[in-house]
Amino acid sequence: MSAETETSWPEAAVDYVQSIADTKLLLGQRYGEWMLKGPHLEDNISGASNAQDEIGQVRQLFRLLKQQGVDEEWLESERAPEEYANAPTLDEEAENWPTFIVQVALSDRSAWLLLDAIDHDDFTGMVQKMGEDEYFHLEHQDGRLETLAESQPEAVEAALERYFPQILSFIGPATYDEDSDPLVTAGFTDRSAADIRGALHDHYEALFAGTDVSVPPLEDDVPDPEQWDATRRRTDDGHVEAGVVEQLQGVSNQEYVIE
Amino acid sequence: MKYHVFTRVNAGDDMIHAGTVQADSDRLARIYAYRTYDEEDWEFIGVVREENLLEVKTEMIAGGKPQ
Repeated sequence: MSAETETSWPEAAVDYVQSIADTKLLLGQRYGEWMLKGPHLEDNISGASNAQDEIGQVRQLFRLLKQQGVDEEWLESERAPEEYANAPTLDEEAENWPTFIVQVALSDRSAWLLLDAIDHDDFTGMVQKMGEDEYFHLEHQDGRLETLAESQPEAVEAALERYFPQILSFIGPATYDEDSDPLVTAGFTDRSAADIRGALHDHYEALFAGTDVSVPPLEDDVPDPEQWDATRRRTDDGHVEAGVVEQLQGVSNQEYVIE
Repeated sequence: MKYHVFTRVNAGDDMIHAGTVQADSDRLARIYAYRTYDEEDWEFIGVVREENLLEVKTEMIAGGKPQ
């Protein structure tokens, strides 16, 4: 462990931060894939900026994970696809613009809510700076969702039905309330998974109020707490494609790495 | 819709016309303007819908000539 670290985190906190970091890593990838395919040049510029922000945030979170003893090689270049703990919403590239916007909106907002819930000195200041980045990501997405709810409500609703259960799995089970969420009881976070689930649902209910888009109900049995894997924050064994992992790890251009 | 982007470096400076953005809403125009023209540490950055710009033009007056 690095001398920079004053305190060790609770065991579950390393998995929690790993999952947020991997979600941001995949957000960077998905923003990058779409940075030349948006409907406006301005969407592409914003998407490219979002990608840069996410990769910058990943570097900061990986630094903290290394301080907690996570192996650097494993973290950055030696993981198999099934060892990434990203939100399941980001396993596959979206096939069209409305689906992409719903995909990144749910993923980016949820990752932010989980990050903002951390109440630990190692994150003081850093999370505030990340929040300044996230304002522009989340405003862009909400602005886009507002216009898409008018022009393509069926496509938005279909994407919500596809991704909402998956993002609830990433946030955590409804049974993790303020008395039972292990990260809250350990003092690492100050907001339970159950509370964050409600906040996310309330946000989109308000955003789509008065439109033809219905937000899927907040199902208490999604994810099934008996099946939920706290390390990968999901109930299935899905993962990103091997080709995407090769891009994330820079495998194809390894010979050009500056030592 | 087309929006014009205005900025200034210091409070009290005159506004600079930084450029334009295309956006489907005021909310999006704010984000696009910031992301597209964030090359300086602006003290202010704002957007105006093109349709809200008031054209100033010379008009004929009765019995007179263009001013």
